[in-house]
Amino acid sequence: MAGPGGDMQWCFSQVKGAIDDDVAEADIISTVEFNHTGELLATGDKGGRVVIFQQEIENKNQPQFRSEYNVYSTFQSHEPEFDYLKSLEIEEKINKIRWLPQKNAAQFLLSTNDKTIKLWKISERDKRPEGYNLKEDDGRYKDPNTITSLRVPVLIPMDLMVEASPRRVFANAHTYHINSISVNSDNETYLSADDLRINLWHLEITDRSFNIVDIKPANMEELTEVITAAEFHPHQCNTFVYSSSKGTIRLCDMRASALCDKHSKLFEEPEDPSNRSFFSEIISSISDVKFSHNGRYMMTRDYLSMKIWDLNMENRPVETYQVHEYLRSKLCSLYENDCIFDKFECCWNGNDSVVMTGSYNNFFRMFDRGHRRDVTLEASRENSKPMQVLKPRKVCAGGKRKKDEISVDSLDFNKKILHTAWHPQDNIIAVATTNNLYIFQDKVN
Amino acid sequence: MECAFDAQNLISISLRKIQSSRTQRGGIKLHKNLLVTYVLRNARQFYMSKNLSQAQRTHQYEDVAAARERQEYLELTGSFTELADDFYCNFTGLESGNWHCGAHQPSGQPAEVAHQDASPCAMASPSDPELMVPEACWSCADKSTWELPMPNAQANQKTVLDLDTHVVTTVTTNGYFHSDCCAQPKQPQGAQCYAKKRKMDASYHIVDPEFYLPDFGPVPCKRMRTDDDTHSDSEQLGSTNISNLISVLGSGGLSDFVSWQQTDLEQIFATQTICLKHTLLTGSGWTRAIEAF
Repeated sequence: MAGPGGDMQWCFSQVKGAIDDDVAEADIISTVEFNHTGELLATGDKGGRVVIFQQEIENKNQPQFRSEYNVYSTFQSHEPEFDYLKSLEIEEKINKIRWLPQKNAAQFLLSTNDKTIKLWKISERDKRPEGYNLKEDDGRYKDPNTITSLRVPVLIPMDLMVEASPRRVFANAHTYHINSISVNSDNETYLSADDLRINLWHLEITDRSFNIVDIKPANMEELTEVITAAEFHPHQCNTFVYSSSKGTIRLCDMRASALCDKHSKLFEEPEDPSNRSFFSEIISSISDVKFSHNGRYMMTRDYLSMKIWDLNMENRPVETYQVHEYLRSKLCSLYENDCIFDKFECCWNGNDSVVMTGSYNNFFRMFDRGHRRDVTLEASRENSKPMQVLKPRKVCAGGKRKKDEISVDSLDFNKKILHTAWHPQDNIIAVATTNNLYIFQDKVN
Repeated sequence: MECAFDAQNLISISLRKIQSSRTQRGGIKLHKNLLVTYVLRNARQFYMSKNLSQAQRTHQYEDVAAARERQEYLELTGSFTELADDFYCNFTGLESGNWHCGAHQPSGQPAEVAHQDASPCAMASPSDPELMVPEACWSCADKSTWELPMPNAQANQKTVLDLDTHVVTTVTTNGYFHSDCCAQPKQPQGAQCYAKKRKMDASYHIVDPEFYLPDFGPVPCKRMRTDDDTHSDSEQLGSTNISNLISVLGSGGLSDFVSWQQTDLEQIFATQTICLKHTLLTGSGWTRAIEAF
């Protein structure tokens, strides 16, 4: 991939998480998200925890700049719950995290599990008051009879403390499992989507939401598709899209009607009949949809490919990238071991010139749209020396395997990269393996 | 990775997934189950289409009376190996852009038929005597062709699959069991055995606590049988291993295979609720059977 000064090379920067091969299920990373400036990087895991990393800014102007992200805050966002009416356990797994644009000194993010969305305030405290008249420094109340004079309390420096406090809880609005949340560009509303419905919330109001999409049929026997992802347009506060398990994307305009069951645009590519198989419905199901930063394109990820759609053209994508086409002949096995149901995410880089997504064997793929080049890289502990340049990897789909190639049958399907994120401005990427978070950056020449 | 790829196996795997999803933490995943039912339907349609082709082939060479009886029972002949070969399809879309259906010919050579015709559903030209498979084996572009031109009583049939021995049995609503696929070579008395009535008492369902176990490994329990079943099923179902019979409704739409009860309180009150239930067969042992109706 060409970048400033020639081909871009990616270097290892950091890895977060346990080194043990024995992975605790609670530590499995379930979502990764940079905030709008890229200074903060949030991860959610199956245990309901949110870990926020902060970038060290002071080194940025130095030569051989190496961004370092250090733990900024950790808190338990969601706990397991039990729905007594339905006798169902509600997992605490964090499905999505979305940052709100920063308005003041504090940071806000939305985190969601299957049923409940929470708004968290992350604030810093580096001063504490001292010199109360009625209280001792340790908080004990003084005997008023011992007070002989008055003083003004003062703020004295203290060690930085980052506090995370839940400010809003948006609950009881979803019958099915929440798969997406998306903050509107108006910074006042956001949407949450489950398998059959999309709700519109106001960030300040927790006791009600507006249902804007409902695809639940009157008779569930007629159910043919579910909602898999939804997102607001980055600039048009009235526009959002949602993808379906049938491989379609619907763009809706909230100005058209209160209930956006009728789409404004339907993006769908006809299926290639030569690729028809028992698993066609599964591999055509869209697992992620993301608008480009400029709002002109959107990207969808299905099991084997990524597609770039021009919002002005509905009948086919403008670009299609095969992520791991060599898996097409393995769909049966992937169905047996449930890997075919893996939901890979995708992301854009800051200027929408490169897209990235994950694969198996801890591989992840980048596609340079402008130069029509792609690269496969690996996130592994073996390549985790500081500033070590990542070597491109190649999968041998058939025939004689060349040196340094890995055969399809040697791929480890337990090592999968489902979640990736790209810094909004710089070439810094966060790649989540099962329980580790890798941070890579481009090599500064 | 090895892939035991045949329609029966896919049906078995799919139903097992649906069942195990009921015990997964967090409740039934609607999306995943919906996709599984698509695979299930695809496999079943393909399997039933092969049944039909076999029935039609044998029908050509028999008298009308015998053909009518055989058609009614949808009985397949041949060894399990031959049947497995019939259902073996090797998808090589990556290499050739086509998918192939390979079936062992009597000479032992695999016969590959590349399907390049315009219709995505056609497996062979109608004039091909060797592969008499209905064109609409499973729908591609035309979703309305999901329903196959099956012989009578398709709408009243239930397909019962033994996960252990891969015996597939078709049950009609009049209570008749018909073995579609035998693990053992067909016995001369097979037709009479399957002609005996096995009445499914839909009102009698006992939930087996082991149903909730995610592992379908053998459990040291006896299997109960009816007197009718003992003679006909002993060879196919096995005598000591627990057989898990998965019954899938033959008619109806996609949602026939899946129960949404656990995830949607509203569905409890909906008409034609579909659910997975256990059926215990009476007799000397007992069999865990899951029936979707």
